[in-house]
Amino acid sequence: MSAPVEVVLSADSAGQLFNCAVFDPHSGSEFLSYRGGNTSSRSLTVLNGEYILGAQLGKNFINVWEIQRKDQLQQKIVCPGIVTCLCASPDGLYVLAGIAEAIYLWEMSTGNLLAILSRHYQDVSCIRFTDDSSHFVSGGKDNLALIWNLSSVVQLDSSRTPEPCHILSRHSLPITDIHCGLMGPQARVATASLDQTVKVWEVSSGEMLLSVLFDVGIMSVTFDPCEYFLFCGGSDGNIFQVSLCSTSLSRDKTFQTDSDGNQVFKGHRNLVTCLSVSMDGTLLLSGSNDETVRMWDVQSKQCIWSINHKGHVTNAVIIPAPANMFLADSHPAVPLPRFSRHLNPSEQGDGTGSGGMCLRLGASTQVTSETSLKVLERCDDKCGSVLCQSVFGDGENTKVRVSELEEEVKTLKKINKDLYEFSTQLLTKPN
Amino acid sequence: MKAKKQKRQGDFQKVQLKVGKKKPKADNATNVNFRSKAIHLPEQLKHVDSGPTKHRQLDIMDLLSKLHHINSNIKQGALVGLRELLSAQPSMIELHASAVLSEVAALFTDKDGSVRAAAVRLLRFITQCIPAERVVPFFPLLSAHLTCAMTHISEAIQEDALRVLDVLLEHYPGLLSQRHTVLLTNFLELISQKRKAATGQDKSGKGGFALTISTNRSVTAQQWRLTVLLRLGSFLQAVVEERPLDEGVTSSIGLGMWAGEKGSVTSVDVSWEEHVFGKGRIQVFENSGAVPTPHSAYRLRPDSKAGAGMNKELCSAETVQGFAGTLVPLLLEIWVEAAGGDHVQTDSGHLLSAEAMALMFQILTILQLLRRVSPHRDQKDILDAWFRNSYLADFKHHFMKNFPYGLLEVARHKKKADGKRIRQQVAAGTVAGGNVEPLALNVTLCQVMVTLSLRGQDHVEAEDADWLGTIRVFIRETLSNGGKLSSKHLAALLEVVWRMIVTQRSRVVTDDLLQAVYVQYQQRNLAVSVRSLLLCFFSQFYIQEHQNHPHIARSRILARWLASLPVQLVQLGSRNPQLSAQLLETIHPAAARGNKDLLQSLQKNACSIYDPQEGCVVVLPVESQKRLVQILHSLPAFPAELLACLSQVCNTGRVSASLATMLIRTIHLRSPLCGWSSSSQDVPVKDVDYLSFFFTTLTGFSSEMLQALQDTDEDSLLPSSILSPLSVFATTLEQFLHHWDIVEEVCHCLDTLGSRAQCFDVIQNAIIKNLCGLVVVPDCVCAAILRCVPRLLDVNFLPSDTLLHFLSDCCLSMLNLLLQLEQSAHKRDAVWEACFAALSTVPRLLRLVLQSFRVCDLCEEELPVLAQILSLLLQHTQLRNHMMANASLLQHIIQDLTHFYGGETREQWLTDLLYCYSVTLFGHRANMGMRDIY
Repeated sequence: MSAPVEVVLSADSAGQLFNCAVFDPHSGSEFLSYRGGNTSSRSLTVLNGEYILGAQLGKNFINVWEIQRKDQLQQKIVCPGIVTCLCASPDGLYVLAGIAEAIYLWEMSTGNLLAILSRHYQDVSCIRFTDDSSHFVSGGKDNLALIWNLSSVVQLDSSRTPEPCHILSRHSLPITDIHCGLMGPQARVATASLDQTVKVWEVSSGEMLLSVLFDVGIMSVTFDPCEYFLFCGGSDGNIFQVSLCSTSLSRDKTFQTDSDGNQVFKGHRNLVTCLSVSMDGTLLLSGSNDETVRMWDVQSKQCIWSINHKGHVTNAVIIPAPANMFLADSHPAVPLPRFSRHLNPSEQGDGTGSGGMCLRLGASTQVTSETSLKVLERCDDKCGSVLCQSVFGDGENTKVRVSELEEEVKTLKKINKDLYEFSTQLLTKPN
Repeated sequence: MKAKKQKRQGDFQKVQLKVGKKKPKADNATNVNFRSKAIHLPEQLKHVDSGPTKHRQLDIMDLLSKLHHINSNIKQGALVGLRELLSAQPSMIELHASAVLSEVAALFTDKDGSVRAAAVRLLRFITQCIPAERVVPFFPLLSAHLTCAMTHISEAIQEDALRVLDVLLEHYPGLLSQRHTVLLTNFLELISQKRKAATGQDKSGKGGFALTISTNRSVTAQQWRLTVLLRLGSFLQAVVEERPLDEGVTSSIGLGMWAGEKGSVTSVDVSWEEHVFGKGRIQVFENSGAVPTPHSAYRLRPDSKAGAGMNKELCSAETVQGFAGTLVPLLLEIWVEAAGGDHVQTDSGHLLSAEAMALMFQILTILQLLRRVSPHRDQKDILDAWFRNSYLADFKHHFMKNFPYGLLEVARHKKKADGKRIRQQVAAGTVAGGNVEPLALNVTLCQVMVTLSLRGQDHVEAEDADWLGTIRVFIRETLSNGGKLSSKHLAALLEVVWRMIVTQRSRVVTDDLLQAVYVQYQQRNLAVSVRSLLLCFFSQFYIQEHQNHPHIARSRILARWLASLPVQLVQLGSRNPQLSAQLLETIHPAAARGNKDLLQSLQKNACSIYDPQEGCVVVLPVESQKRLVQILHSLPAFPAELLACLSQVCNTGRVSASLATMLIRTIHLRSPLCGWSSSSQDVPVKDVDYLSFFFTTLTGFSSEMLQALQDTDEDSLLPSSILSPLSVFATTLEQFLHHWDIVEEVCHCLDTLGSRAQCFDVIQNAIIKNLCGLVVVPDCVCAAILRCVPRLLDVNFLPSDTLLHFLSDCCLSMLNLLLQLEQSAHKRDAVWEACFAALSTVPRLLRLVLQSFRVCDLCEEELPVLAQILSLLLQHTQLRNHMMANASLLQHIIQDLTHFYGGETREQWLTDLLYCYSVTLFGHRANMGMRDIY
């Protein structure tokens, strides 16, 4: 059997059979299961394709498994409070956890606690990264969703507390779920709330693009990768599919089923708490409080298979299959560090305990006076002028210029090499 | 020689006239031998094509041409005539606008005063008739003439030019404000003149202009300056107001400072269809950039073609600085002259005459407007800093020295002189600015000064302490001395308070000022506008500044204010829905943010807010009701009394069904039984309370009401009989449907609870305990029970006999009711659906129902009813299988029925029943039963 491209990872609140398990997205057959404890909702995440992290329900620690050693609980990370949501960055460098109303940010390479962000007034219910790990969005029970820039959060600047780049405050009841689309900082993000609306926002500007009103509170939301459809899991067990291609220009609309894309998937009998779409956009996975996980065909809206769990489904997600998952004798490339529980800027400098050194970005010295758009424009101008010269200009001048530039590149390469050698010598030199 | 003589004689021959001879006729004599007749014209010939005439039979062209006449009387007459003509024929204004406007404008600089006055009057009339967008093409000409008049060498013409300016400002502020570059210099030149280069150098700090005094004006120099400053003030006002609004910061109450910290981003709506062919470039706004650029570089057509420097926008800080650098020294100079001239003695320096006060007020207004001219926040900050650096010392010295100013009481014996002066002022048009309240003056001074205090710089705080302290004392006293303030003054004061709190960052100052505002807030009988202004101040203050400033977050006054909100909401009741909505706008976010003071107070007052009789949740409009329901999400605990209230709120029908559904869902979500909320430390809704809430909502009637129903004997009661064992109380259609919607939601919520068997057990016990003994039951309760039981029933669970008997009674009564319901299809459907669901899900129930048909006990009239019920049951395909299971019972009943029916002819109902019966049995017994019957 060849390894599958994608797998389904799901967990329930009872944890009788397993904490979380891996299924085949096409047949629903179980591949693997990880035992020990149970996982609270929106807190199961795969770190770097090597570890599975899941926050224990109602307790203040996070369970960690190595992804290939399924039956053995690797370690428990003890946190300062009950973890309400958890998310690892897609590049595997950072882990975010919502603990009560604060967001904790750990660096994976050292285990240092880099920041505690307390801008929410109530419990954080959901955290999501953009696909390039540059931004993250957090939603809380205080009806607010905040968009943060990761680099501004990790900056070492004690004088200034990190501020979110945008505050999305148009929901009138607690936020239940967040989904980030693709394309990094230019992505769109969807937020679902108990106030019976789903709103789509732009990450870069924080502007609301669309608001859809439903008959019931919405517990979960997701896009397909092309953002043709928005899937919203209702608190009555229905899943609403909203077409995003419609030509109507209004920003506020009310959901109505019709023939062109606005449809309902019926089958669940209780809150639909998790939704996820496969890479190719044909399969939709849903987990519900009626203790089932269902796989739907998006085109025909038929339920392909369903798996019964023993408790409320807390997490269900389709992920690309990690390479290590089916190789029993593989090892993670990086050992998991000990997570520090305290924010200690004074200790971070010496790093005697772990023998490592901590590198942090300094405060941004210059305000970006030139916006990226202008830079782009200038580059465009340059390209144009170069093109003009090469096409219409005199050949001799160009040749001289090219040779000059090559010369410069050579010099720069040499300098770079010298610098590298110098620094390696300095670093490898025994003290 | 002789011949010559003769020739000359021939040329000029003298005619000799002789006495007695007839005079010869001259060669050029006119022959008068003709007779003429007079032509009589009874009336003037009307020439239609040259347009109507009015004034002295002159048409508009004649009048216009007369404007060039050298005699001023004729010019004035023509102007008056034009006005009469145009007011009689308003359509002509549009036709001749260009000619009339250009001619009239030329007269702004006329030598004669009466002509200018007439011209202004005509202009005023014309401007009333032509809207601003039509006058755009002529406006460069108008403003050129205006400029010409303003800079005229004759002072009288300058004075009249200000009147022209008044008229234009009144009607075309937008157009006029585009000409600011020219006009602002004109204003300066009206009251000052450029210094000579030599003197300008050594006094470079004081700007390049010096005040002028001319002795031959009709008014004093100070009055003249005041009139000019008045115009300058209103002109700057126009500039500020007519600026292209790209921020949307101007709130309705005009508190620009209350707007958010960041300028909001304006988004561009692009419809791609228009851009398919690439006709226009799309301006791309960069959202992620540090500095958003709101001004598009692209324009269809330049706004103003003529004029040098007209394209320079007044919104950049540098431009404003340049102008202010000239103007502010002049203003200070004016003030020094006015103050010095008024009274030399220093002991009563804070008392000003009315005139000086008006002057100072104008100066301050202009200073304030200068700051507001630039629209961007960052530029405002630059400007503030510049003002501070350049003029703080001057301002402190000249304005703050005698700070709270009062009105100098002029002794009464000067009455005569006063009257004269007032007349003069009327003539000069200054009466508008003539009477300024001292309060307005002081408040404006505060506003100007407070903008000079920079935010967040510690080293300047100490040096500002003296004058800021004076301002603080003044504000505190003004707000807390119990007097009523007009909303305009209050808004200005609140703006000052806001700025001071944000810039000073001290807890003492914050509490001090907020306390003063709070005292004002607590006054009784405030006007609604004032009240809502104060409310708005507090709520914006809380929502915007709370997070950023810890000294504000810890303020006790703010906490006290928040805690008082729910009480106010209760007290307000339904008297002022707008104010209640405003209160809710603060309560909701504060509750969502988990503000402890507010939540405590909310919890305490919850029962009165959610009272089913006169609580806010039933008396306020729908939007507020919705907010109140949403606030329930953040309420910390739901005691049993509150749940009882809420249950009644759902059922009394004063909130809509959809809102009641939302309320039920909220309670459901807050309960730990629902399984949504992960944090299980605190239990907002206890399980017992939860279940009793749902049961009460399900029945829709409290136990007292049901008990009271047992004893009534109303008309709406259907009497009990064998076919209807319960006496049914028919509710109104509206109530029934409302309750039906709620039952639907309750069933759904109960359905999703974890352990169905236990849940059903609880409901069963509740029904047996509360409902089974009843004789009179409302129909909606019956329907609700019949609907809820089959939905909640687990396959493995056996319902108790008591419940089943009660259900069968209910079912029978409902079926009986069904036959009597003709008026409403909706209600029929609902009742039938409930009965059908119950009968098909619980087979034993059907059996019980059939068993209770004891035909022998029925009287003659009831037989058709029974038959109809039976045929109804038989007709339904899904029930057929269940009916077949009870075939013997059914056969027995039908046999009895035919037996007891003694009528000779077979009635229609019997035929129907037998037909249904035969169809039902057809597949199974092949009509065997039929033969038995016959």
